[in-house]
Amino acid sequence: MEGIKSLETPGSKGSDPGSSRFDGILKVIYESVSELNLQLPEGRRIEKSPATILFGAGGKLDSLALANFIVIAEQKLEESFGCRIDLTQDDPFSPATGHFGTIRSLATYVSKLALPEVEGSQSRSE
Amino acid sequence: MKLHLISDFNLETLGHFLENDGSSPKVSVVLAPFGQVFPPLLQPSQSGTSDFAVVWTSPEKIVPAFAAALDNAAFSEDQAVSEVQQFADCLRAAQKHFRAIFVVSWTVASHHRGNGIRSLKARGPRKLLLKMNLTLANELEDCSGTYLLDGQRWTEEIGKNAYSPKLWYMTKTPFQGGVFRQAVSDLKAAISTVIGASRKLVIVDLDNTLWNGVVGDLGWENLGLGGHDYLGEAFLDFQRALKSLRNRGILLAIASKNEESVALEALSKHPEMILRPDDFSAWRINWNDKAANIAELAAELNLGLQSAVFIDDNPVERARVSEALPEVYVPEWPHDKTLFASTLRELNCFDSAYVTAEDTSRHRMYATEKQRESLRKRVSSAADWLLSLETEVAVEELNDANCPRVVQLLNKTNQMNLTTRRLAEGELRAWLRRENRRLWAFRVKDRFGDSGLTGILSLEIESGGALITDFVLSCRVMGRNVERAMVALAAEHCSALGLRKLSAVYISTRKNKPCLDFWMSSGFSYDEKESRFTWPLTRIYPSPDGIRIRRQEEPQGDAPHASEPGLADPAHASLKGITN
Repeated sequence: MEGIKSLETPGSKGSDPGSSRFDGILKVIYESVSELNLQLPEGRRIEKSPATILFGAGGKLDSLALANFIVIAEQKLEESFGCRIDLTQDDPFSPATGHFGTIRSLATYVSKLALPEVEGSQSRSE
Repeated sequence: MKLHLISDFNLETLGHFLENDGSSPKVSVVLAPFGQVFPPLLQPSQSGTSDFAVVWTSPEKIVPAFAAALDNAAFSEDQAVSEVQQFADCLRAAQKHFRAIFVVSWTVASHHRGNGIRSLKARGPRKLLLKMNLTLANELEDCSGTYLLDGQRWTEEIGKNAYSPKLWYMTKTPFQGGVFRQAVSDLKAAISTVIGASRKLVIVDLDNTLWNGVVGDLGWENLGLGGHDYLGEAFLDFQRALKSLRNRGILLAIASKNEESVALEALSKHPEMILRPDDFSAWRINWNDKAANIAELAAELNLGLQSAVFIDDNPVERARVSEALPEVYVPEWPHDKTLFASTLRELNCFDSAYVTAEDTSRHRMYATEKQRESLRKRVSSAADWLLSLETEVAVEELNDANCPRVVQLLNKTNQMNLTTRRLAEGELRAWLRRENRRLWAFRVKDRFGDSGLTGILSLEIESGGALITDFVLSCRVMGRNVERAMVALAAEHCSALGLRKLSAVYISTRKNKPCLDFWMSSGFSYDEKESRFTWPLTRIYPSPDGIRIRRQEEPQGDAPHASEPGLADPAHASLKGITN
């Protein structure tokens, strides 16, 4: 079983879009979106796309939905990577630097965190 | 159906889950103003009327003494009990606004360790919480239409992530989505139960479903059932779970590809077999298509396919039945045989609001029905058969003793049902409070056995005539002239009041064609445009031959019309306010 760091492809950084590590995180976020959509009214469901806006102008999520998304994503990331991740750190809703702008910015933020190497993380996230 | 969500925390997520849930019955949700419990319960009309209410509260808010206990502050246990009773009083008062109220039992987050080893001792918060829930359950015991749901099960199912401090601080929602998903499943089952949409029949396969192995290959002596074997024990436990359903009034039947004699020998002779042939109301043990067999079984038991659940270890058979008979519920069945019993016990489609005497003896009634059918084949004509049954119909008014069964029958009967009016107990009692309305319940027995309370007729006196509001007869006594006896009694009563006509307006559903067939043959004149059947009371409606009517002298218990004469004594019938 491979750990999260071994998902990185040679010559790429784990936080780069297209890297295996980034893609693994994106997959966990998409799973979180699927779960969130189960509890959203039809017109307010969000797409599983890197460009989907989570917070800010043009976003579909209200504060309750965003809070639910954060809790779901934290839980799924913990299940995948074996450590508790607090997604509400580092001024997350700042218009300039906040990582909840889009799904891509969130995946990038998570991929830069010092996640421990965990046995089986690849299989758990699949 | 409209569901009112009332809570002292944020229940918006539950509302979304409920509205997104595609299973039947579909519901739309009304959220009471945030944080308010008592005003929307006592004055729900401010936010529109709803069929049902869900009341989900935090114990520390409804019972301030419990909040003190959690804080290790001084509190009085008596005070806590008194606060629970006040809450129950409020729920009782709210009953009239809703068809049913579902109250969620109180829970606390697992991170509340309380006093550790003293938590379940005197003055421990966990002990107090148990007492509060028990007090609430006792207070609501006699509130028909108010049900306490087990919220602890929902949080246990999700485990340590059931409560989310982050969600609580951010949105005032204490629970994660998983808890609400569990709640949706139980709430849908609760609503189905109240509206009479629960399942009534389990049809099971035999080989590798009821026992381990193939009886035709192994012989009954070598089947895997009981013994010192973990799989044998698992199958015994599955049979116990089925028997437990049977004891609650759910009928059991068999659909198996086998030689009938070989399979029945196994059921009769295997020493550890829990379910014996007489536990099953019917069976089709042959090599025919299972879907066809299941359709036959439902017809034989006078049940619609929407009442049936089919359990088979073979996914091919399950797929075939699902595809051919979409109304039959075919649960996904685990490959792991040790999970059979727990999977059955988890099914929420058999819930019932009451368990009546008729429920617990239902399987015996179907056995006596087989004897009746056997007699029917032996006698020369249908008329002779009806006479030979020696049927006796006992008539009684609504009372405390029969009310649960009347409500159950009203809400569960589909085929012989004139209007398919569904009412909760409180609604029925409220409807009967008008002096020009009457309701009679009918108990039927014959030489083969007692079918119990199986008929209801209610009517409303109008100017110069009476309109039958409910005409309901259980499928288990249909076609035995009880229908005519009921109509004859109603006609006799109305005639004694000097009314000129008795009418019935048929409301068609997908399932009540048998009722139309009866009324078309009833002798009443029929106005097709209004679907109205009418009998002029200048003529006596003929009572069917061979049926003995036993009239109740006085209603029992605290009936809505306990002080009024009923059908039991039509000569004294004098409904106040009725003019002819």
